[in-house]
Amino acid sequence: MASEYILEMKHITKKFQSIVALSDMSIALKEGEILSICGENGAGKSTLMKILAGDYPYGSYSGEIEISGQPVKLTSTGEAEKAGIAMIYQEISVELDLSVAENIMLGIMPKTKFGLIDWKKTRETAKSVLHLLDLDLDIDATMRNLSASVQQLVCIARALVRKPRILILDEPTSALTESETELLIGILYQLQKTKISCIYISHKLDEVFRISDHIIVMRDSRYISTHNKSEIIPDKIIEDMIGRRLDSMYPSMEGRVIGEEILRVEGFTVQHPNSPKLIAENISFSVKKGEILGLAGLVGSGRSELLRAVFGALPKKKGEVYINNIKCNIENPMDAIQNGLGFLTEDRKKDGIVKTMDIGQNMTLSILKRISKGLFINRSSELKNITKYFNSLRIKAPNYKSSILSLSGGNQQKVVLAKSLLTEMKVLFLDEPTRGIDIGAKAEIYKIMEELANKGLSIVMISSEYPELLAMCDRFVVLGNGKIVGEMDKQEASETLLIRIASGV
Amino acid sequence: MNKMRGLTKNESINSGNGKEKISFGRKLLNSLEKVWNLQESGIIVPTIIFAIFVQFVNPVFLSAQNITNILRQSGFILIPAIGMTLVLIAGGLDLSVGSVLGLGSFAVGFCMVKLNLPIWLSIIAAILAGIAIGLINGKIIVKFNIPPIIMTLGMMYMARGLIYVSTKGLPIYPLPKQFQAIEQNTIFVLPTIVIICLILCIVFHIVLTRTTFGRSVYAIGGNPEAAKLSGININNVKIKVYAISGMMAAIAGIIMASRLGSAQPNTGETYEMNVIAACIIGGTSTFGGRGTILGTTVGALLMSMLANSMTLMKVDVYYQKLVIGAVLVIAVIIDQYKRKLAESNAKASK
Repeated sequence: MASEYILEMKHITKKFQSIVALSDMSIALKEGEILSICGENGAGKSTLMKILAGDYPYGSYSGEIEISGQPVKLTSTGEAEKAGIAMIYQEISVELDLSVAENIMLGIMPKTKFGLIDWKKTRETAKSVLHLLDLDLDIDATMRNLSASVQQLVCIARALVRKPRILILDEPTSALTESETELLIGILYQLQKTKISCIYISHKLDEVFRISDHIIVMRDSRYISTHNKSEIIPDKIIEDMIGRRLDSMYPSMEGRVIGEEILRVEGFTVQHPNSPKLIAENISFSVKKGEILGLAGLVGSGRSELLRAVFGALPKKKGEVYINNIKCNIENPMDAIQNGLGFLTEDRKKDGIVKTMDIGQNMTLSILKRISKGLFINRSSELKNITKYFNSLRIKAPNYKSSILSLSGGNQQKVVLAKSLLTEMKVLFLDEPTRGIDIGAKAEIYKIMEELANKGLSIVMISSEYPELLAMCDRFVVLGNGKIVGEMDKQEASETLLIRIASGV
Repeated sequence: MNKMRGLTKNESINSGNGKEKISFGRKLLNSLEKVWNLQESGIIVPTIIFAIFVQFVNPVFLSAQNITNILRQSGFILIPAIGMTLVLIAGGLDLSVGSVLGLGSFAVGFCMVKLNLPIWLSIIAAILAGIAIGLINGKIIVKFNIPPIIMTLGMMYMARGLIYVSTKGLPIYPLPKQFQAIEQNTIFVLPTIVIICLILCIVFHIVLTRTTFGRSVYAIGGNPEAAKLSGININNVKIKVYAISGMMAAIAGIIMASRLGSAQPNTGETYEMNVIAACIIGGTSTFGGRGTILGTTVGALLMSMLANSMTLMKVDVYYQKLVIGAVLVIAVIIDQYKRKLAESNAKASK
């Protein structure tokens, strides 16, 4: 029986022991349509997509999946692939030590009649899909040497070469630059023309509002509403996502007192960790007490590496740090913390949280000396410090002994923030502080930042989300290709201006 | 998950006004649940079951004499395993412990017999030798960023070579009677080695769970980058754990020399495998960030029990290696299963 929908997921319910991850969830996707699913972290989007991609096999959930009107039982990711479903995951998973061509063709390499790999055909197919995507890449390049954004594009090529009918994209642009995002969106429009349907999951609502034919909102494992392309009201969608009116995402940031210069960085030159070139050249900037400085620039412009070098986590070729006009010798993170610097990294899974420890232990990692008498940790002192920030940052968890993995992305980020705040620092470096965090948690983090700035803490913030940067920062320094290409005040700045200067146009 | 199950149980218990008597069955289930929830339960439970089983087959198993034997044997594995536990938790590995054990034996024998030093001084010298080897391991691993497995493998050969070169392959024998008396005596009925094990276990349990050093060890193994950015001196901590491992291996070597009454050049050969097995059976992960002294203790006890029980049950000695290997794999599988369960529950409850 022909259906007008290429995909229907009907009344999907999924439980993990006693925890309900999805409750009677249904979606419908038309051929050639771009459907976006919006919802906070924990709403169930990823779970739903994992079911569709075969990660959670048929039998581990109740409900039906129909493709072109025919019910399908997807018992594995292989089955899903055969059914024409391809998924591009948020976490880039590539074989770092294999080539681009090998990654694209992994699992479907054509064989010669002797059963050996037909390299010629492999390379041709890889080249043709890259050509389709208008990507100029050396198919023999090793993945390890490529940037995260290029790796993500190769993942997309890998999905497309399997000729899917349904393409699922989970946060596909989190590692991409502006131009690469445009490229991807162009690719999706092209796919639409060839009748490939897409399911798009992203926290970047402006992208979602732009490209979707339909938007489905989920909250608390349930379906909430569908919005048609023609009737997209952003505020309403956000309300549906968080279940309450969001008066304003960003705090007012007014009425703060900005004091004297507290941090000055002079002549910082940093070598690229993976190649002989310089990722930051002769950078100087300063921050005042209570000020929030924004470091703008394209992905790869050297902002993270610069701050890491100032913090002592990356070696520097040249550069001096002055705090309260006194020169500081910072060779490693220990020195930095002692001098009053704090750092929130852009990838908390990689270098923010210790996943084998619980929440409390993660928090106090930075102040072990302070909470101990001699060799021994003072339990009550530790508890006092943990409770202080558990409450003030409104961390949602049963108690501080829970594993840190039980927290949502936003709450994990708060724990890492608490870890820095406990050191009572003067200047806090925030590297993409709201990446991978749902909208409700983002608003909370902005409010926390405002409270901290009000108390006199200085913040240097790196962000690729211009609305966030423009709302929160008092001043901007723009980096391009490792050099300072612009500086401006909040009043002079706009998204267009920042992007133009960062891109060098 | 277990906590949630426990909650519902408590709810129904407390739903009366506290006047309900908790049945014996319910009490038993509650304590069983506590044991299951212990991190080390994956190994404690099978060990107890195994002990009961062997006792049926040969009642000599749980006799005082036999238990003493088991405890004594497990001590030689446990002492280096305590050091190895720290190294593994920190994300490293020390393959040189067998050779350092031999070196400890050799050093104490050499000092007493060839240098005529007093016993107490010889013991200290041997311990210092172990620490020195550990420091060399740690410093080179840290300074040149060499994978621990390679450095300690090399040290395993070098230390053993050092012993053979110095002894020309001959044992140092006999060792002073007073020295031999150390191991062969008992304190309050228990062999000396058991008392030493008890003290070391308690000390290092406290170190791991209550000191900043212990917390740093867990952090470095769990996520070295995060630990570094939190201001922990990971190089220092790494060097220290290898030094401790060397020290413990040397201590075991000294006690073994006392037991054997001589310092053999091949003492401790292939020991590192047993030591690592004891740690892993006890739940210490080779990936780092996890492990406890209690777990390692049970692991060492189980290995000693296995060897002992197979002898009592008249199982061919050659089968013992097969069995230990199988037990090792099964213990890791059980531990992995528990861990995946816990992780997926934690993540799903978000």
